[in-house]
Amino acid sequence: MGLRGLLFFNAIFALLPITVFADAVVEGHVELPKSHSAPVMAKRYEIVTIGGVLSPQPPLAVVYLDGSFPKSTTTATKQIAQKDLAFLPSLLPVQVGTRVEFPNLDDTYHSIFSYSPAKRFDVGRYRPDERPIPSEVFDMPGLVTLRCDIHEHMRGLILVLNTPYFVVTNPEGRFRLGGLPSGHYALKAWIDSKTTREQPVDLKADTVLHVDFP
Amino acid sequence: MHAFELEDFFERLDTGLSATAFQDTLRTRLSGTIDTEFYHFEQPAPGLIDSKIDNLFDPRLTLFLDAQIGSHIYFFTQSRLDRGFDPSDHGAQVRLDEYALRITPWDDGRFTLQVGKFGTVVGNFVPRHLSWDNPFINAPLVYENITAVSDKAAPDSPRDFARSFEANAKYEFNPVIWGPSYASGISFSGRLGRFDYAAEMKNSSLSSRPESWNATETDFDHPSFNARLGFRPNQMWNFGVSVSDGAYFRTEAERTLPRGRDIGDFRELVFGQDASFAWHHLQLWAEVYEARFQVPRVGDADTFAYYFEAKYKFTPQFFGALRWNQQLFGTVSNGAGGNIRWSQNLGRVDIAAGYRFTPHTQLKLQYSFQHETTGPRDDNHLFAAQFTVRF
Repeated sequence: MGLRGLLFFNAIFALLPITVFADAVVEGHVELPKSHSAPVMAKRYEIVTIGGVLSPQPPLAVVYLDGSFPKSTTTATKQIAQKDLAFLPSLLPVQVGTRVEFPNLDDTYHSIFSYSPAKRFDVGRYRPDERPIPSEVFDMPGLVTLRCDIHEHMRGLILVLNTPYFVVTNPEGRFRLGGLPSGHYALKAWIDSKTTREQPVDLKADTVLHVDFP
Repeated sequence: MHAFELEDFFERLDTGLSATAFQDTLRTRLSGTIDTEFYHFEQPAPGLIDSKIDNLFDPRLTLFLDAQIGSHIYFFTQSRLDRGFDPSDHGAQVRLDEYALRITPWDDGRFTLQVGKFGTVVGNFVPRHLSWDNPFINAPLVYENITAVSDKAAPDSPRDFARSFEANAKYEFNPVIWGPSYASGISFSGRLGRFDYAAEMKNSSLSSRPESWNATETDFDHPSFNARLGFRPNQMWNFGVSVSDGAYFRTEAERTLPRGRDIGDFRELVFGQDASFAWHHLQLWAEVYEARFQVPRVGDADTFAYYFEAKYKFTPQFFGALRWNQQLFGTVSNGAGGNIRWSQNLGRVDIAAGYRFTPHTQLKLQYSFQHETTGPRDDNHLFAAQFTVRF
């Protein structure tokens, strides 16, 4: 499954539990930064070198509804895999209290860690067939940068949010966030660690609101 | 500065030091480390430290250039600004320590060809020898313990060979393997199932000094042939055997050789075994080396060296490491009907602790105790600290 497929499923699963109970929808477009080139992997001391080029990770944004919402009573579980020496997906928004698993789908060790204030952890080296899959519960809101101690070029992001209403844009910046409660809220678009745009929104039941973040 | 601001700074720096051209066909990245090292030791300085001062400050800037050209060509360089390849009290110097062009024709890793000046394929220390990856500040004993072998002059007699060298002339002598051995040459390597292989032809032997590694300094008249065969049953274990055969004398030693003999007649032969294990937060490494130097007017001088090394991450940012090293020397004829040990047996224990403040900054502290079990010299205590900024 490609990156786009995973992002699609990620967005769908994020929305599934709440679409049953709420019905306002926001859709629109986020102006994304210029696409990055594929990273250069340092292979200086590798006896075995695999050919090919690492996949570029397109810039994505997370659109979320900011406000005071009740905390989830169950622990949701999401995954960020390591596949072809990259984190997949490279950006994962989760609600506070979510458990994230880190399956290793490569035929080599990874060693994932984060020194971010929102979550410091180091899962160490583990075999792809080890069970349970190493996981962490993200219980503080904030941005968590994932790295691999073995592969310097690897970067992944987990955006831990207080809200259950969020979605990842597609690589063109388009989003659709459904199942939202009626009321006056701030709709935010997280673009990178320095840039979060915000628009006030009035959500009404059975309406589709169009919001762009230029 | 807030942790995120610092991370953002390094991320922006990384982006600024990366470049692409020709529709992303050529992609380059400049990165590096700034190491600030402090050593306190007793004289004579242990290992390859070349200093008459007991408290040595040794800063180093290392720059790496990694370039990917298409999907099958890779090029890298390592250049350094420091006080010498090994810690020393000398003035500043700039060197191009490594440069290599690597061609990988197939995507599955079955074959790779590399040409340039680069670390040896022998053993398992080279992949972790840089300051950020090495749990210790120095190298295992076999990579830095000076023996009685000199690549600059042949001994006049067995007694001349086996006598202890003077501390101030220590840099005239050689270890079994000189650090990562960035000699010049060509290598091929690859993986076939659970096995991996690597072989190289270099311009100088494993024991050769950094000055000999340059192709402009040492040509390929007397090349060294090195190889390693590895077996990886799973991600946790990695086993390897290595061999090396190369002439170890430099050209200036030619006039000191016995009449009718040349540099190619006197070789360094090395047989090594290595193993490593990693699981969760524990990493183990071990290497065993048997080496033979063919010494003019003396015969074969044999030595045996090994080490065990363990690293454990106690927390995401704090790790500890322990290493036990030993090197034993054989005997050679003393020329008067008896035998004499050709260098002093010794053991060394290294203890280190490291803390990573951020993904870009690391502090390591190390204590080493070296004990010569057969020699008259005093034991040596080494204290070292190293602060590294990686970008």
